[in-house]
Amino acid sequence: MLESVNNKRLRQGVNPWAMLLLTLLLLVAMVAGCLVGAVDFDRGEILNSPIFWQLRLPRVLLSVVVGAVLSVCGAAYQSIFRNPLTDPYVLGVSSGASLGAAVAILMGLEAYLWGVGGCALVAALLTVLLIYKIASIGNRMHTTTLLLTGVCLTLLISAVISFLMVLNHEKMDSIIFWTMGSFGSATWTDVVIVAPVAVVGIGVVLYYSRDLNLLLAGSEAARSMGVEVELVKRMLLLFTTLMVAFAVSSCGVIGFVGLIVPHAVRLVAGPDNRRVVPYSVVCGALFVLVCDTLARTMLRPSELPVGSLTSIVGAPLFIYLLYRNKKRY
Amino acid sequence: MIQLQHLSLRYGQKEILRDLDLSVGEARITAVMGPNGCGKTSLLRCIGGLIEPTEGAVLVDGKAVLDLSARTLAQKVAFVRQHAQTDFEFSAFETVLMGRNPYQHRLQNESQADWDIVERCMKQTNTWHLRFAIPSQMSGGELQRVMIARALAQQTPILLMDEPVSNLDIAHQIDIMRLLRNTMAECIMIVIHDLNLALQFCDNLLLLHDGRILFHGPIAEGLTPENIERVYGVKAHLTEGRIVYDY
Repeated sequence: MLESVNNKRLRQGVNPWAMLLLTLLLLVAMVAGCLVGAVDFDRGEILNSPIFWQLRLPRVLLSVVVGAVLSVCGAAYQSIFRNPLTDPYVLGVSSGASLGAAVAILMGLEAYLWGVGGCALVAALLTVLLIYKIASIGNRMHTTTLLLTGVCLTLLISAVISFLMVLNHEKMDSIIFWTMGSFGSATWTDVVIVAPVAVVGIGVVLYYSRDLNLLLAGSEAARSMGVEVELVKRMLLLFTTLMVAFAVSSCGVIGFVGLIVPHAVRLVAGPDNRRVVPYSVVCGALFVLVCDTLARTMLRPSELPVGSLTSIVGAPLFIYLLYRNKKRY
Repeated sequence: MIQLQHLSLRYGQKEILRDLDLSVGEARITAVMGPNGCGKTSLLRCIGGLIEPTEGAVLVDGKAVLDLSARTLAQKVAFVRQHAQTDFEFSAFETVLMGRNPYQHRLQNESQADWDIVERCMKQTNTWHLRFAIPSQMSGGELQRVMIARALAQQTPILLMDEPVSNLDIAHQIDIMRLLRNTMAECIMIVIHDLNLALQFCDNLLLLHDGRILFHGPIAEGLTPENIERVYGVKAHLTEGRIVYDY
């Protein structure tokens, strides 16, 4: 008889207890996020207030959705590109969106419903499409070329944005504010537009999470172990791009989350994407929610930019995890 | 089992394989030999469906490999590549378990049967004690054996191996060759450089020279001093069934 290999260290899939705990933590954080803010309420009174329904609740929901999206896409990209330094913005989504938003702000589209967001979305998708077109040879995608093209176009576009800002001094502040990322203007419209895309997209990444593991062994190895490599890559890139583009368009560029959350999860749960992806959903949501809540309460009534807070909170946490993990080697 | 029909492969102007016709099936282990750059790896990659030939076709069990789904093909053909890739930190056990992928549904976790197969394959390749190790903790030879275990876990009738023993010490080379003789795989094509090791463990020889087949048949008939000199430009003679180089 074979030895039993039902060893904890060899387990597959998520630990249901850990997942339950994280989900409960997220729910508690959501409730707390709705209760605190610039205005204090007496008990019971809050549910009657438009501040709760029209400001805090959509803001909390949007930060949860965006956090989940960025972390899941970061995890997926790191596996697809087999590069631990990739984040959800490598394919030019953020720069494209910033350019679109800048143009929209200059044209005074802020007054319209999702005027800036819509422009940012279209520009983001066009940018990624352009990068794909440049980098694909025949019907195959060369991932290194894809990454380099993304980096190059990102630099080009940020130069164009700087140029636009210098030419339009009076709008500089709002453009900079948009690119720093904020949930300050989150509305139900944002939630309703972004959430369905996020749910479908995250579902697709979860569905392909085993294939992501095999892609890490290289395209050819993955193919010889039964993965339809080109199809899987295409599906994943399509849905992740859509998710990130919608997320960025709703709240601007929030850095650090997509790069670090998946790595932090890997340090604790190992490299198996069947664990990394689901944990990233919850941890990313929790992380961005906590950061946003801190951003708007620490110096109330004024706000800190959530993008810088994610780094201030996240970097030490991540360095601690790296340090703790050093002992394993 | 494997048939090549007018198989040609070109990279730009460079001709790698020239109009190969071949049928492999009757022999259990075929040694694929020839000097560096003669097209051995390309031939194996064509058979594994990893690259598309410029002309001609590869048939496995009568079906063109490029028409098969990746999943079906992965249940028929396993591939061990020359350089094991090592970037991410999956443990050896997780790595070998990936070989079970072609038999699993996407949202399903591995069954006990999968785990048992993995354990058996790792014990056969003497890697079970490494099951928790990540690539950076293993030597080149250990990693190579893990990759062989992963291919064995695919339980395919056809096994394509591109220099699987080049990184191994002589004891493990012999272990692996002996293991290949005992696997369930019906048809093994193995790129190997050690003439004597091939002579001892392989049934057939496929000798490639300049993109063409110079010899295909029983290995003892193919590894002659004439063929060795023609292909490698090295003088050798046979003594007591072993190849000895003259220099």
